[in-house]
Amino acid sequence: MTPTPLSYTLVITGAPWSSQAPQSALAFARELVTAGHRVDRVFLYGEGVLLASALASPPSDEVHWPRQWAGFLTEHSVPATVCIASALRRGIIDDTEQARYELPASNLLAPFEVAGLGDWVEGNLKSDRIIYFHGSN
Amino acid sequence: MSTLIVIDQPPYGSWAGREALDMVFSLAAFDQPAALLFTGAGVNWLRQQQAPDAIGQKSVEKNLSAAPVFGVEEIFADQASCQRFDLGPDNLVSGVTLAANLQAVLNAHRHVTFAG
Repeated sequence: MTPTPLSYTLVITGAPWSSQAPQSALAFARELVTAGHRVDRVFLYGEGVLLASALASPPSDEVHWPRQWAGFLTEHSVPATVCIASALRRGIIDDTEQARYELPASNLLAPFEVAGLGDWVEGNLKSDRIIYFHGSN
Repeated sequence: MSTLIVIDQPPYGSWAGREALDMVFSLAAFDQPAALLFTGAGVNWLRQQQAPDAIGQKSVEKNLSAAPVFGVEEIFADQASCQRFDLGPDNLVSGVTLAANLQAVLNAHRHVTFAG
């Protein structure tokens, strides 16, 4: 029996390599898609924004979680928001913010985009389920 | 469709609580009903006369006092946690509802979300 398809917003607040949150969320997201559900949006908040760094360079024999996530988002056309306030504090910067704050570089990994908590509020209203993946603090 | 944000972390050990507060404020700014529940060590957010200057931080008291202005409906504090951390009428900030029955508070909200 096929379950009724549901729509999901996934919120990730734990950083890669210091928490399990990004990989747990990715496993969950893959299962959702396989089971015929829809992921409306992924929202990175707090430490979770570190998943969107284009500069993360783990050793080649380890899983590259930012690239794994970017591949999933692109393949399934899932929009992904990085909270701007969390991102600026932690040095996750897109071209616009680089120019605004006159910073020496930008490092936001595509297809992640920087926006505000409004995207999370929208997920609360629009998605059937909103699921949180936290770190350990 | 109300959302309850639960803060169970003390105010100055990490940024999770402040970011949870921003979540509550943004819900309220978009006219979505939202409330806060402080429990465990999180009740220390509600202590009067915090003085975090020595560790280079700003007091969260001021952030929290903006909650009614933003339209946050209610601020709950777990009564048992308040007792554990010696918080009472003398040293608790104003505008807080003490909750003896946490289950009732949780049941009264459609979404319950923890700070990271």
